[in-house]
Amino acid sequence: MTLVHNWHLGRRMEYPYFESRPKRQFAAIFNINRCIACQTCTMACKSAWTYNKGQEHMWWNNVETKPYGGYPQSWDVKTLKLIDNGENTWYTDEKDEKLSPYGVYEGDTIFEAASKKNINQWAVGYIPEDKEWRSPNFGEDVAKSNKPDEYSSLPEHSRWFFYIQRLCNHCTYPGCLAACPRKAIYKRKEDGIVLIDQKRCRGYRKCVEQCPYKKPMYRGLTRVSEKCIACYPRVEGKDPLTKGRPMETRCMAACVGQIRLQGFLDDNPKNPVTWLIRHDKLALPLYPQFGTEPNIYYIPPRWAPRAYLRQMFGPGVDEAIDKFMVPSRERLAVMSLFRMAQSIIFEYKIEEGPKVFETTIHGKKFEMYNDTVIGFGEDGQEIVRTTIEEPIHIRDPKHYNSI
Amino acid sequence: MKKGFSLFKLCSATLLGTVFLSAALFAAEETAPGVKGMSDEEFTPTKEVLNVKYVQMDKPYHMDVESLKGAFKDAGAVKVVLQKQDKAFPNGGGSVAGAEVKAIHDGITIYFQITWSDPTKNARTIAVQEFRDAAALMFPLGAVEITPAEHFSPRMGDREKPTNLWHWKADWEADLLVKGELEDVEVQYPNMHDDFNFNPYSAYYHRELITSVEVLSGGRAANNLLSQPGRGRTVEDLNAEGFGTLTTQDHQDVNGCSHYEDGVWTVIMYRSLITQDPHDVQFVPGGNAFFNMAVWNGGEQDRNGQKNISTQWHPATLEKVAWQ
Ligand code: SF4
Ligand code: SF4
Repeated sequence: MTLVHNWHLGRRMEYPYFESRPKRQFAAIFNINRCIACQTCTMACKSAWTYNKGQEHMWWNNVETKPYGGYPQSWDVKTLKLIDNGENTWYTDEKDEKLSPYGVYEGDTIFEAASKKNINQWAVGYIPEDKEWRSPNFGEDVAKSNKPDEYSSLPEHSRWFFYIQRLCNHCTYPGCLAACPRKAIYKRKEDGIVLIDQKRCRGYRKCVEQCPYKKPMYRGLTRVSEKCIACYPRVEGKDPLTKGRPMETRCMAACVGQIRLQGFLDDNPKNPVTWLIRHDKLALPLYPQFGTEPNIYYIPPRWAPRAYLRQMFGPGVDEAIDKFMVPSRERLAVMSLFRMAQSIIFEYKIEEGPKVFETTIHGKKFEMYNDTVIGFGEDGQEIVRTTIEEPIHIRDPKHYNSI
Repeated sequence: MKKGFSLFKLCSATLLGTVFLSAALFAAEETAPGVKGMSDEEFTPTKEVLNVKYVQMDKPYHMDVESLKGAFKDAGAVKVVLQKQDKAFPNGGGSVAGAEVKAIHDGITIYFQITWSDPTKNARTIAVQEFRDAAALMFPLGAVEITPAEHFSPRMGDREKPTNLWHWKADWEADLLVKGELEDVEVQYPNMHDDFNFNPYSAYYHRELITSVEVLSGGRAANNLLSQPGRGRTVEDLNAEGFGTLTTQDHQDVNGCSHYEDGVWTVIMYRSLITQDPHDVQFVPGGNAFFNMAVWNGGEQDRNGQKNISTQWHPATLEKVAWQ
């Protein structure tokens, strides 16, 4: 084991390989508050990559209902139990913008739990059986009632559920990659996408066992494992539609609820993804305590019990929800870029517009300006331009009745 | 003592030129991560020598354990002690305590027979939680000396100490018996719903969909032998130069057969004494050889390094042929 820095945990942690970050990291932000669980993303992925024989159980992208749903069933509860040492807490008194923006995790990761338990494996894990993969949307729309007799009201509903959109996190410290005794799994230097080499894989299922998010899946037909490939031909700009520009994945581009924004985490503070994650801290990692530094980030649902959300997204939850409920001028502008383009946006610029609205939300003043947001592609060319207020089109009276 | 190897240097090893290590993350220590050192005892071959008996025989029409029984009748057995693999991560195994090995040759082909107890037969690996029973023989490649002074790792070989491995798999045997020579997913899930009607005369036969199976089956498209139908054999011919370097040979030369009864596996692996493949071990009547072996118990989820191994090389001598 070596020591690597994991900024989600705000500390160094054990990992079998040296820290080696990609030039830029494939990443995405999902606004849970807006998801309608239409599963368009799920089907967009399925119809592109896993409609084939032996992949019947595979949903590289899936949307499950929390707290009861899970694909494979109870994946998160089972993994949380494996790392539970009775005192997994966060120390949040001191933070460092760069190294420990959420504070410091004082508990075991999947790697540390394995070395503490002396199991002579790289990480703790388990293999979900057939039946656990079988009902991908089990628990859909089932609410948890903390106080069944009460009506729900903000800030925390007593009867609640929410949707969580899941795919491979293309982790900075992948559990799957660490687990593979053959080094058949690799993380690309150019974009941080994690792939299974289909020739080197020998179907050992160590990745299935030790990915805490359960995203590598075994294919009985070929006797080897497969996983989300981040639509890498699109990300590389190979799809003719975007004429060589890096393009968002199928699940992102298809999102009906417009909850998704995909891009790369890099050092540019004007990159919308980097800004929302690293600077604004509006979007948070899923189960950072697993220790893999996952790269899909979530804007937490504002109505769900905070303790549950803190367990799921770490101690940054309260601040993120406050920020989401009363968005700043810049935040509102950047959030307007969600689903405005299929080409990946590398940088944004805001042109200021007039104030159009003012109110008070939970005692806090909110002002809305009709700013214009411009998104630029990798080549610096403008790819999208939008305003905070959506334009209104009034239909000509003579077409009132036509479709 | 060379305990490990830099994983990157493997790429330059000429023998395993095909080994492709593209991990962007790289090995942390000079010793491969998760690998513990070995004792001097492990570098000393066992005292007991396996006599590879010369048997004059007609090659049976059906190569199965039953037909070869007579040929093995007078061959002496060597008992091999097996234990848990406890050096390289992931550790595992330990459910099979030992095996018995016999070997014969007829001047053309060499046959190794391995017998061990395993209360469960696991001959399919289609469901995610199912693992196969398997057995492997390993031979040093080329003429070698093995002493504590002249290290040759009995665990997958070492850098510049390559090995040739023969890996018999219970599910490959099952694959051989079905049409198309690959047990398909319906065998495991007989009532499954699938979008693939493979009957070309059916009203629902969708040509493009069906032909896309090959293209969209990563393992098949990448030419992974494990994924291919019609392998025509039950034993895989491989090379290794240390932990994590196992590589399927381009040219497959080994075959085998097996029999499972009353909780006992009998597996026979055979190959020509001499082959044209420079990556293969060669056997000379009247000459010496070394072998080592491992057994996987699918019922215990054994696979990869999670296996029952012998930690020492075993010497073998080949009897001369009658006309020598
Ligand atoms: S989510 Fe799982 S499969 Fe994806 S990179 Fe992380 S550990 Fe690997
Ligand atoms: S397409 Fe978008 S809104 Fe629909 S389920 Fe997927 S993430 Fe949610």
